Amino acid sequence: MPINCKSQCGNRAALKRPKTGDALCKECFFAAFEAEIHHTISSSHLFRRGEKVAVAASGGKDSTVLAHVLKLLNERHDYGLELVLLSIDEGITGYRDDSLETVKQNRDDYQMPLKILSYEELYGWTMDRIVGQIGRSNNCTFCGVFRRQALDRGAKLLGVDSIATGHNADDIAETVLMNVLRGDTARLRRCTDIRTGGGEDSIPRVKPLKYSYEKEIVMYAHYKKLVYFSTECVFAPNAYRGHARAFLKDLEKVRPSVIMDIIYSGEQLRFKDTVKKPVRGICTRCGFVSSQQPCKACVLLEGLNRGLPKLGIGKKSKGERMIAKQDQELALRERANLVKNDF
Amino acid sequence: MCSIGEDDFGDEGAAHAMVAESLPLGIVLSPGDCNKCGVTSSELYKLNFRTAECRDCFLAYARHKFRAALGAAKILPRNAEVLLVLDGSAESLVLLDMLHFAQTQNTFKRLHCNARVVYVDDQQVLGRYPVDMEAIKALSDQYAPFEFHVIELGALSSSLQRIKEYSPSPKETSELVEKLERLRSLTARQDFLQQQRKNLIASVAEKLQCSHVFEPSISVDLATQLLTAIALGRGGSAAMDVALLDDRLAGDVKLLRPLKDLNEQEIQFYVHAQRLKPLLQSGSRYGQERGQTASLQNLTSAFVANLQKNYASTVSTVFRTGDKIAVNAHPEQATCVQCQSAMDSDLSDTLLAIEYSRSVSEAGVGLYKNGDDLEALAKRRLEAQDGLCHACRGIQAELKSGKLL
Repeated sequence: MPINCKSQCGNRAALKRPKTGDALCKECFFAAFEAEIHHTISSSHLFRRGEKVAVAASGGKDSTVLAHVLKLLNERHDYGLELVLLSIDEGITGYRDDSLETVKQNRDDYQMPLKILSYEELYGWTMDRIVGQIGRSNNCTFCGVFRRQALDRGAKLLGVDSIATGHNADDIAETVLMNVLRGDTARLRRCTDIRTGGGEDSIPRVKPLKYSYEKEIVMYAHYKKLVYFSTECVFAPNAYRGHARAFLKDLEKVRPSVIMDIIYSGEQLRFKDTVKKPVRGICTRCGFVSSQQPCKACVLLEGLNRGLPKLGIGKKSKGERMIAKQDQELALRERANLVKNDF
Repeated sequence: MCSIGEDDFGDEGAAHAMVAESLPLGIVLSPGDCNKCGVTSSELYKLNFRTAECRDCFLAYARHKFRAALGAAKILPRNAEVLLVLDGSAESLVLLDMLHFAQTQNTFKRLHCNARVVYVDDQQVLGRYPVDMEAIKALSDQYAPFEFHVIELGALSSSLQRIKEYSPSPKETSELVEKLERLRSLTARQDFLQQQRKNLIASVAEKLQCSHVFEPSISVDLATQLLTAIALGRGGSAAMDVALLDDRLAGDVKLLRPLKDLNEQEIQFYVHAQRLKPLLQSGSRYGQERGQTASLQNLTSAFVANLQKNYASTVSTVFRTGDKIAVNAHPEQATCVQCQSAMDSDLSDTLLAIEYSRSVSEAGVGLYKNGDDLEALAKRRLEAQDGLCHACRGIQAELKSGKLL
């Protein structure tokens, strides 16, 4: 027997909403999905009229849906925002080059300006070359650290007021679990924040899809026939995150509301006063936000340029020893050269 | 998009933090010299991260962990009345044995408290093979002068009996069993049962005029409990679920977990060293026989058991994360009538988003007309004065009919 849409709009239900389990027709699902994002934006005051917002676009499902919905809501509810797309080209052949084509398609479809920044121009290294240096392990460290800073650089270049990223509810719940598994209290404190950064020295990042389920994002993109790119990165299936992800997916099968419950739990966690808090500062070398001196991006870059790619990986003291050893060797060689020149 | 290294995510993708390791379990039976006292012994105990030692040195070490947990926090007043909860598991027997030993030492080292034991008879609720009552009676002889009591899970504290006089009541379905059956999912049932069990223990403690309750949870239990609490939306009170001292119990009863720093291996060794005979196997909790995908709790314990097997140090990381968190509440805050945790204080955006989803799904395309009313409706639902916290509302919502309390 066909089931009718729960909203009593008169249509037949086309899908079962993953988040609430309600049977809805396509139109009602779109309406509900968009209304929730609008509600998130308005109740958390993510944007102000007249602001310029960069949508971090990778060409994947999350950022494609984000760009689509933001454009739609901006017009429907008259937010008065100027939207631009910001993409980072890590230089990964067979992955990013293809996904950037999708972003360009988005640019044309949504009539939004697009800025692409590449690791090549920012750091002088592409991920392909970095992987050639360091191999398949730890390469995600470089990619992640550089991308975070690259987005900041791009945002500064474009002069935007905030960056909207496509993190969805599943991503956030998964991160809560992962940070508990790693005992990372510093990240546990802030990983559920809908807005991070901001203040005088940095550009805030916001997550308008914080309460949107991944399954619904996929469903929305599918029924709206949005063009997106869905290939895993060629370099790195991340084992650790995979562990938390598999656990979350299992939990979701048992009780779909678990994703929201975990986000809520993450927000409610408080820490004893004895637990150390990281202090946010500014890197003395590059001037971008960092809790370490110098920032991770600068350390990693120094490692690459010195030919010591493992420099920023693992303990800081180990890295310092590596630098000291290299400096010593250089000094020795220089002295040897001096001796030779005497003759 | 690959999101490793972005602000909320690990710089390293944490690849280094989760190293596959499986630690061998088991007693080194070969005779040899104790590395601690040098005495030759026929049985050496080799714990992970410790050198092999003789039985006496091992016992001293394990018992010290128990005493240190109580002593360091100065949490147990002199001559306190203590109620020990016995469930027949290896952990509870170890706790009983340690407490008994601590009481029989000379004056200087003795733990000054008056202990009683309560066995919670849950066979009717669990519907499993009855535990051998004779074995518990034998324990009460072995651990004299502790008084042993028995209470049936789901009964009132007035039906508390001395072990010597106890015989299981004839089979009639208790109110608790009926209520459990009215809950739709096993997740809700297990969550509800856990609260009920705690409430029962609190009322027994009150009846016996005990100010403190000893519960035999060990580190891996608490790691599981922390993850479970997070999955159930109980993050605000999770700190209490895993702390040494839990003071949420009714009637000012304080729940202590003095074995919280012991691990499974230490329990196994202690059981062996003292020739203890656990009355039930671990993993015989309510509903556990229905498999790991039957509830969030079962899934979480299977997940932690797998971690324990393959990434043992991750379990202790989780457990130590539990040590770092504090309760999210101020002293005057109202508490949930069901679980006694602090109520959700401020209007949470996440809870509002949950309620808003429900309203929005009901409204469908109609919401274009009345979007603002929906938010008001969601707020009203959220602020309903039912005295329940978010997680307990989740249990209430799964009740087919009637009220939770």
